[in-house]
Amino acid sequence: MEDELISKKELLDLTGISYGQLYRWKRKQLIPEEWFIRKSTFTGQETFFPKMLVLARVHNILNMKDDLSLDELASRLSDTGGFSDIRLTEKAIAERNIVTDLTLSSYGLDVQGDDGMYSFDTLLHLYVADNLLANGDMNLEEGRLLLRTLDSHTEELKGRPCELYFVRKMGVALFMLAPSPAELYFDEGVRLIAKVALGDLIEQLKGRLS
Amino acid sequence: MAEKSKDEGQLPDLILNGVGSAAGGSYDRVLIDGVGKVGDSLTARLFKANGQIRVKGGLETGEMEVNGIMNLEGSLKTGRMKLDGMLHIEGSLKGESCALNGLVTVKGDCELEELKGEGGFTVEGLLSAGHADIRLNGAGQVREIGVETLKVRQGNKSMWNRLIGGIIPKLKSELTAKTIEGDHLDLEYTTADIVRGNVIVIGEGCSIGRVEYGSELSVHPGARVGKEVKTGD
Repeated sequence: MEDELISKKELLDLTGISYGQLYRWKRKQLIPEEWFIRKSTFTGQETFFPKMLVLARVHNILNMKDDLSLDELASRLSDTGGFSDIRLTEKAIAERNIVTDLTLSSYGLDVQGDDGMYSFDTLLHLYVADNLLANGDMNLEEGRLLLRTLDSHTEELKGRPCELYFVRKMGVALFMLAPSPAELYFDEGVRLIAKVALGDLIEQLKGRLS
Repeated sequence: MAEKSKDEGQLPDLILNGVGSAAGGSYDRVLIDGVGKVGDSLTARLFKANGQIRVKGGLETGEMEVNGIMNLEGSLKTGRMKLDGMLHIEGSLKGESCALNGLVTVKGDCELEELKGEGGFTVEGLLSAGHADIRLNGAGQVREIGVETLKVRQGNKSMWNRLIGGIIPKLKSELTAKTIEGDHLDLEYTTADIVRGNVIVIGEGCSIGRVEYGSELSVHPGARVGKEVKTGD
């Protein structure tokens, strides 16, 4: 799975938004500047976007824009603000169906804060684990390792696009976190079980939280 | 030159008359008449300047009005702005609305909700606006335009103007851009590689390499269009 890009035109066709809307959202910083990737093609310069990220974001905007003004949306979607100081109780997480009960009951006690609340980062980690568990890629014990890995590197990777590689060799599970875009090459014995762009999950998680 | 502070808790005003210079900082009102120089970035609720002004930094203001020549070495962030004269911005321009009468040069991107202008402008980055209504009285040069609605007209069509435009290309009242994208585009005297939009009107004097339109396209007989493509269903 590569970091797929989508051209501006494809994006507009796929989502049914117009040029005007796209530029308006950009002005309101609903779509961050870094996502506008300029590349030269045979028709000249074209703008591309990271596919998963931008589709999730556009989807979120379209869903929310009926209830909120664009400015409110902007503050809600902005990458750092809004969510980073969110704290949820176990009950709230279960109610919103963010992660499954199984995940929550297995790992909840290990990762929750002293006051029994979950921060956005913790939630994200749980969400990642939950996704991998749900796909059947990972077992519960490996999940613990994953959470520890994510937890110990939260600070370094904050605000940077990052990918999680989950590989196995001879049945031993390994987790790797790499700031994207990075290309990793493994030896033959290694099987890449899953590659997860954390940015996508952040988008999804934000969607569920709002 | 006078710098006076008001009651505590309220930001002071910066008032410059004649020839003078001031440091940057945060102010409530900045009023400059004459030749003024500001040494650093400025933040102000209201910025009013007449004459020649140079700011060695950025400017952030809620409302601004400039008559004369202004040079900005940083970026400009503003609410409403009114400009008569020349404005040169080294950084980017971000604002709500802009009423332009004169010349603007922006080295970075230019993002405005509403742009209504007469004169000429150069934007080396992206010109993004909600509604742009431009009457060209000089050259308009933009790398890329992304708008909801755009209307371009030639301001002065007198013989004299055409003559000057013919001799000095820089004074030709034409808009040049690489790409123009928007929902409603109404162009005149525009040269562009690619124009993409929903409803497009290509008026007199246009020369467009490729037009991609969604629902409507009309081309003036006096315009040149390389290729017309209908997109979508």
